[in-house]
Amino acid sequence: MTDAQNHKQAKKEIIITGFGGQGIILAGIILGKAAAIGEHMESTLVQSYGPESRGGSCNAQVVISHEMIHYPYVSHPDILVCMSQSGYDKLIQQIKENGTLIIDQDLVRPARELKRDFFSIPATGMAEELGRVMIANIIMIGFLTAVTDVISMDAAQKSVLESVPKGTEKLNTTAFKKGHDYGLATLKGRQKKAAGQAGAIS
Amino acid sequence: MNDFKIILFLCNWGPHTAFQTLQDTGREIPDEVSMIRIPCTGRISKSLLFKAFEMGADGVVLAGCKPGTCRYGSGTATAIENTEDTRDIIGLLGLGKERLRHVTFFPDESDLLLKFLNDFCNQIRSLGPSPMLPIPITESEAISRESLAEIVSYHDAFACQDCGKCSSACPLALIGKPFSPRELVNSIIAGDMDSPSVNKDIWSCLTCGLCYDRCPSAVNFPEFIRDIRHVIRKKGGNAHEAHGGFFQSLMRAMTSPGLKTQRWDWLPQDVEVDSKSKILFFGGCSPYFDIFFRNHLGVETRKILKDSLRLLNFFDIKPALLQDERCCGHDLLWSGDKDNFLKLAAMNVESIHNLGIEEVITACPECYRTLAHDYPKYGITLNFKVTHIYELLENEISKGAIDFKKIDKKITFQDSCRLNWIEEPADLPRKLIRRLKPSSFREMQNNGKSAICCGNCAWTGCDAFSKALQVKRLRQAHDTGSDLLVTACPKCQIHLRCAMEDPFLGEELNMEMIDLTGIIAKTICWE
Repeated sequence: MTDAQNHKQAKKEIIITGFGGQGIILAGIILGKAAAIGEHMESTLVQSYGPESRGGSCNAQVVISHEMIHYPYVSHPDILVCMSQSGYDKLIQQIKENGTLIIDQDLVRPARELKRDFFSIPATGMAEELGRVMIANIIMIGFLTAVTDVISMDAAQKSVLESVPKGTEKLNTTAFKKGHDYGLATLKGRQKKAAGQAGAIS
Repeated sequence: MNDFKIILFLCNWGPHTAFQTLQDTGREIPDEVSMIRIPCTGRISKSLLFKAFEMGADGVVLAGCKPGTCRYGSGTATAIENTEDTRDIIGLLGLGKERLRHVTFFPDESDLLLKFLNDFCNQIRSLGPSPMLPIPITESEAISRESLAEIVSYHDAFACQDCGKCSSACPLALIGKPFSPRELVNSIIAGDMDSPSVNKDIWSCLTCGLCYDRCPSAVNFPEFIRDIRHVIRKKGGNAHEAHGGFFQSLMRAMTSPGLKTQRWDWLPQDVEVDSKSKILFFGGCSPYFDIFFRNHLGVETRKILKDSLRLLNFFDIKPALLQDERCCGHDLLWSGDKDNFLKLAAMNVESIHNLGIEEVITACPECYRTLAHDYPKYGITLNFKVTHIYELLENEISKGAIDFKKIDKKITFQDSCRLNWIEEPADLPRKLIRRLKPSSFREMQNNGKSAICCGNCAWTGCDAFSKALQVKRLRQAHDTGSDLLVTACPKCQIHLRCAMEDPFLGEELNMEMIDLTGIIAKTICWE
């Protein structure tokens, strides 16, 4: 493998998309912070700016790399996290061929003709169960941490605690854990299914 | 001097003549054989066969007439079944199947009988004495006013306001039994322990806890009854044990330290267990129940253990098993035998501690309640956590990525009284049921805290009203239009199945039953 390829792999471009108010930008901040502070990598965040913060579609573009980042905008993400249908519809064509698609299954219904594999989590439903819809973004961060290898669990958790308002640490930790557990369970399920053990009674 | 004790139950008709010939001709019968002459081998129940071992026999022989020569027709066939069942049970118990034999002789086969007795005695000698210690018969203790007063005040039974909510909620009273918890409490407070109604009714209580739920003074009637039973039992009162007291005998027998039980031998190979695990799966007595009821009810409560272990494996948990697991003692505790309950509790906890276990998982509501609540209450400290499998499943499933296959069944649910008492986390079975994908789930008329008991508890006080209760419950189940009854306790399966075997109502009542673990194991899959 050439150096150039190596560098390419070491750089991850991520887009998180959703509605304004879901905490999409905060999720981007947490992700970037975890990489920069926790993992000592470089990271940038570009947020879509404008009417979005009043409820329209919005997205956070995060780049994480071992090297200096020269260009912070993301047009073809390695990881696309969709927390709204409009965000999904707008960006689904731009994700890289071998990129990872993550959706909130309570908010996004993927197109029937979608051929690619994707991860899904009922983040909003889980957040409702925990009592605050607002923490769906933290659940999503937990899930992303588990199913991808961009940032480590420790760094992500620390970054979550540093970024959320004081007094909500416990709720956010629970939410993060829930998302993370869901991610691990999803991976385990895929592994088991691949090994031909889909059920309890084979 | 020969210390071995061999009991020979001898049928009056065929083999007794052979035995008499031996005596008349002065043949030498082994010393250790004690002969008990009986009218027919078919009347020696499993409980009587087992009782001989409980009282210290090293070997037991049931000698009857050849098949076809039974004077009463079915005696020999019944004796063969009873012996087979008891043999398998003492096998599981670690006593050794070989210690119990069923044989048949013609009246003129005295030589054959003598040869058999000699061979059997030799075999028992080579096996050595029975590892089961005879259960001492305790002196009867008079009920002191103080001990009664202590129980009454401990449970604050004086707080009874005489409102009668207990009696109007009691499933037994509602089914028509002349039984009233209120009257019972009043009689006991008055110290009227010798009245026939107290002596009878104290053993009828189902301890289901419905009255406790309704009591405005929060008198814990089931536990009150349990403690009164302990006192009455010490006096030597008849505990109205069902099945001839077989299960109480069996559980008492497990207090012998020398017994090496073998209750896991039947597990299929593909179930993964790990003897070094810090998580233990506590099975319970299902394997014994299945053998005891196999010719009558055909229940398969062992399946609950198998399915539970498969579910644990599904979540990558390979638990340890207690090779010398004993009964948790629930039924002894609730049928008045506190001393032997305490012995069992101490032995189980010691074995579990010796394995260095951190968490015990069980699928039996009675084991769960007994291990988690009653052991500590009776002063036994646990260095481990006790988890009911539903709690574990709910936790694991809520982590996500789990789906359930659709089942083409309309289901309804029979609550377990022992789980209904658990405050936290509440109503786990229903949480799990709601995750399933049946064609429909409908509750019975009485459900949740108001659910009706399956008819009996702790193998005590079973009568026609127990049956009536089961019939009522099964009719409620049919009224929901469901075709699959989901249960949460092996005993519910046994008791409800009993009503389905009724020669008159059986067909009307019949309904497929499955334990909740069974239906989960059948349909769970990774998303």
